[in-house]
Amino acid sequence: MEQGMTTEENEKATRQISLRPFVLSDVDDFMVWASDDKVSKFCSWDTYTNKDDLLKYMKETVLPHPWFRAICVGGRPVGAISVILGSGNDRCRGELGYVLGSGYWGKGIVTAAVRLVVASIFMEVEGLERVEALVDVTNKASQRVLEKVGFHKEGVLRKY
Amino acid sequence: MARPIKNLTVDASSRPEKATPHQITSSCSQMERDTTPQPNQLVGEEKKPIPDITLRPLELSDVEDLMKWKSDDRVMRFTTRQACTTKDEALDCIESFIMPHPWFRAICIEDRPVGSLAFRPAPGDEKHRAWLGYSLAYDYWGRGITTAAVKKAVAAIFKEWPHLERVEAVADVDNRRSQRVLEKAGFQREAVLRKFVVIEDKVRDVVMYSFLSTDPLVE
Repeated sequence: MEQGMTTEENEKATRQISLRPFVLSDVDDFMVWASDDKVSKFCSWDTYTNKDDLLKYMKETVLPHPWFRAICVGGRPVGAISVILGSGNDRCRGELGYVLGSGYWGKGIVTAAVRLVVASIFMEVEGLERVEALVDVTNKASQRVLEKVGFHKEGVLRKY
Repeated sequence: MARPIKNLTVDASSRPEKATPHQITSSCSQMERDTTPQPNQLVGEEKKPIPDITLRPLELSDVEDLMKWKSDDRVMRFTTRQACTTKDEALDCIESFIMPHPWFRAICIEDRPVGSLAFRPAPGDEKHRAWLGYSLAYDYWGRGITTAAVKKAVAAIFKEWPHLERVEAVADVDNRRSQRVLEKAGFQREAVLRKFVVIEDKVRDVVMYSFLSTDPLVE
């Protein structure tokens, strides 16, 4: 999807996007990808069909989350990126997750967002040394994002 | 897209602080290179037979036996579990962590606990996956006991939890004994996970192993 992007195109994507915390009034923008089967296919959540359910999720999970950001293009949320931080013995690691409206796929947006996260999160979170991400073996586009940013493929976890 | 997995930390703990989801397997036996006869020294060197081992729930009355390995740094040093240095701590561990545990067994020789083994389902909806952890008293290392216990336990857990598809275990990269236990029990080595866990303020790499419900059980 992002093959053949030049450095210039990559830089353009990076300049275009910004990350910020969500607010409840983002719910309509959020709904665009949350209700999209193409998007939820590889995600652990089911497609949202109901705005109230999504508001509940935003109130209970998104807003209080220690690290959950809207991926914005021109200031409007088009996706989300989050890091679930461990505690105790797991405080050295965080798990990265991301999602993008299908209309924005193929433009280097998630790659740019992941780069922004990786560039800042180790300084923001004390003790964090590892950011990990799990991707379905068939989700090649998502694997490409991580490879382009410089993640190491460590292995395949079977029947995970 | 990469899927945001729910936070992996688990609530049950022998101490007030949260338990790590992956019970790192302890320094356990399988020093077979010490006891297995080398090809050029077969005569007079016989491999010690593995004693009969049984698995059973741990009782409060087992507290003295439990302490033998729970207070031993040689056993506990690769684990994320807290050591128990007093009887009160050990009793508390039994009551607040072991008793309510989803699947915790003492590894017994002649019905006396010499170690322990446990499975914990992954949190949230991930009931198809479970974590394995184990420990064995130092004096019993090197005799194949943990491997025998893991083989028995893996066969049992897939029968008892029919929804289970994957058992996984992690071992410190330096803990070759524990890695050998898993390899001999038929686990597949999948990956080295770098800077995965903090043990005694040091960040450690671990090796991830798995055993699937479809993998062949090892006799």
